[in-house]
Amino acid sequence: MKNIHIIGVPRGLLTYRDGILWKEFFTQLGFSYILSPRSDRSILEEGTARAVDETCLPFKMYLGHVQRLLGKCDALFIPREGGYTPREKMCTRYESLPDLIANIFREERLPLLTVSYDWYDKTNEEAVYLKLAETLGKTKKEGKKAYNSAKKVQDAWYKAKEKRQMQKLDSSKSKVLLAGHPYVLHDAYMGSELGKILEKFGVEVLYTDYVNKKSALKKSYDLSRVIPWLISREIIGASLLLREKVDGIVLVSAYPCGPDSLAGELLQRHLKGLPVLSLTLDAQSGTAGVETRLESFIDIIKYQKAGGYGFKN
Amino acid sequence: MKKKAYLGIDIGSISTKGVIIDENNTFLAESYLWTEGNPIQATREVLHALEEQFDREHYRIAASGTTGSARKLVGSMIGAQVVKNEITAHAVGTTTLHPEVRTILEIGGQDSKIICVENGVAVDYAMNTLCAAGTGAFLSSQAHRLGVEVEEFGSIALKAKKAAPIAARCTVFAESDLVHKLQVGCPKDEIIAGLCKAVAGNYLNNVAKGKKIIAPVVFQGGVSKNAGVVHMFEEELGMPVMVDEKGHLMGAFGIAVLAREDQSEGEFSFDVAQMDFKTREVTCGKCANHCEIICVYRDGSLIDSWGNRCDNGAIRQ
Repeated sequence: MKNIHIIGVPRGLLTYRDGILWKEFFTQLGFSYILSPRSDRSILEEGTARAVDETCLPFKMYLGHVQRLLGKCDALFIPREGGYTPREKMCTRYESLPDLIANIFREERLPLLTVSYDWYDKTNEEAVYLKLAETLGKTKKEGKKAYNSAKKVQDAWYKAKEKRQMQKLDSSKSKVLLAGHPYVLHDAYMGSELGKILEKFGVEVLYTDYVNKKSALKKSYDLSRVIPWLISREIIGASLLLREKVDGIVLVSAYPCGPDSLAGELLQRHLKGLPVLSLTLDAQSGTAGVETRLESFIDIIKYQKAGGYGFKN
Repeated sequence: MKKKAYLGIDIGSISTKGVIIDENNTFLAESYLWTEGNPIQATREVLHALEEQFDREHYRIAASGTTGSARKLVGSMIGAQVVKNEITAHAVGTTTLHPEVRTILEIGGQDSKIICVENGVAVDYAMNTLCAAGTGAFLSSQAHRLGVEVEEFGSIALKAKKAAPIAARCTVFAESDLVHKLQVGCPKDEIIAGLCKAVAGNYLNNVAKGKKIIAPVVFQGGVSKNAGVVHMFEEELGMPVMVDEKGHLMGAFGIAVLAREDQSEGEFSFDVAQMDFKTREVTCGKCANHCEIICVYRDGSLIDSWGNRCDNGAIRQ
């Protein structure tokens, strides 16, 4: 791979999980790094125009972000991530991502930069990134240094998020956990609206991806030994860790998501006794339906706490 | 001194309901009519009907509330003190009249919901998603196809010997199934009974999926007036299903109760029914989201607006 100076990263899917690692890694290696802008309706429309009907909303959004980077970078970083162990895999979307993108944008002949690993490769994150550095013409030493410092920055970022979230647990306000894939929860045109609506109703909002990932992953095995998806495990584990500490959980999914439909159902059955709302987002532009559902949910929590209707809330 | 009364209006997609109650939750006036796609006009007519029944000599309206899908619009129109979602309104209304209730089934014109109640407070709920299969709108369109008034469905269904199996999971499939049944000579009353059974089955399998239905059960919403569906619910659930005579007004009643409980009183005048209200949809051009912002004008001046995702789109009054 020669003549690469600027690496573009679409702001979607796993960028919401590992974007910080990527940014640090590429900049440490001496590349410029650009991220597509925050999601909005036009990005979704552009993505939808490129996608087949049946694919999921976050993937349509991702295509829009790829489109936004056309002509703005020398290569797009589109990783193929299959997972590192058989019980902590990724959904098929990630297993096929570079192929899908290369095919959908075949006219544009996008220069793709990728990593490719699967659980049966018996590899690990460090080895994957060392190989990526090698692809970019860097030495092993340079790769190792860049990876280590990127990992440090990412760890510190998540630690700060985890700490802030722990502080929220001490709040006297009602606390609601938003449980879902990070790229749904934090996308400006999908989930981040939910957090804003909830805050407007005066509740403290927590997120499953701001719970320590290692502890969440470990905890998820209490509920199921067979679920194959890493992120579903992180969502389940984080929800189990916080179930006693929050007043309610909103399971957020973007239509249609296979892993969510299974893991969400499993979790919902397991969390009996705690108010749980299952919300599915689609390409609808209005937030009225979502607002009604969230408002009803907050009412349930508040009136239950108050011990009945007839108390001013 | 005049006694206090409370006004509640529930503006749904298909029908608009209004009630006035006194301090003891007794109904002083009630009205129920079709929204016909025009919530402002429907509210005007509901207010006219309520005004005629209302005893102005002895009562004054101390507070008002709105619920239902057009609650915001009508809330700013009448200057309501309480604007709340229909789940809470229905739960409050039903538990006020039936304190022992554990499960509330509701099938309206375009949506359906289930509310689970424990110790007089809602603890869980579910709503149908985008699909309106098995709601009032579905039954009306099938009645039209069969050349029968939807109001007659209940009595016809109860007289049928058996219910023809109809796939009601999806309105489109149900229609083709229905046409097929007619063509193979299935009696009309059995088809109607089949439709009622399908509505109950569809509801239990979709909306009420995974929810525990505990007696006493109260069934409300427009479809609860259909005795055929009530019967099918009782058969499927194996328990009695209560239908309140005022079941169709429960949302309006609930929001009136909430207006009474909310201590902030405010003047209300039936004159709002004479005022001129207009809404305008503006597409915000400040970013690529192009939010559709609804602006409400009373006698030409802006009184409220909503629909913007961010502050950039806020319209100042």
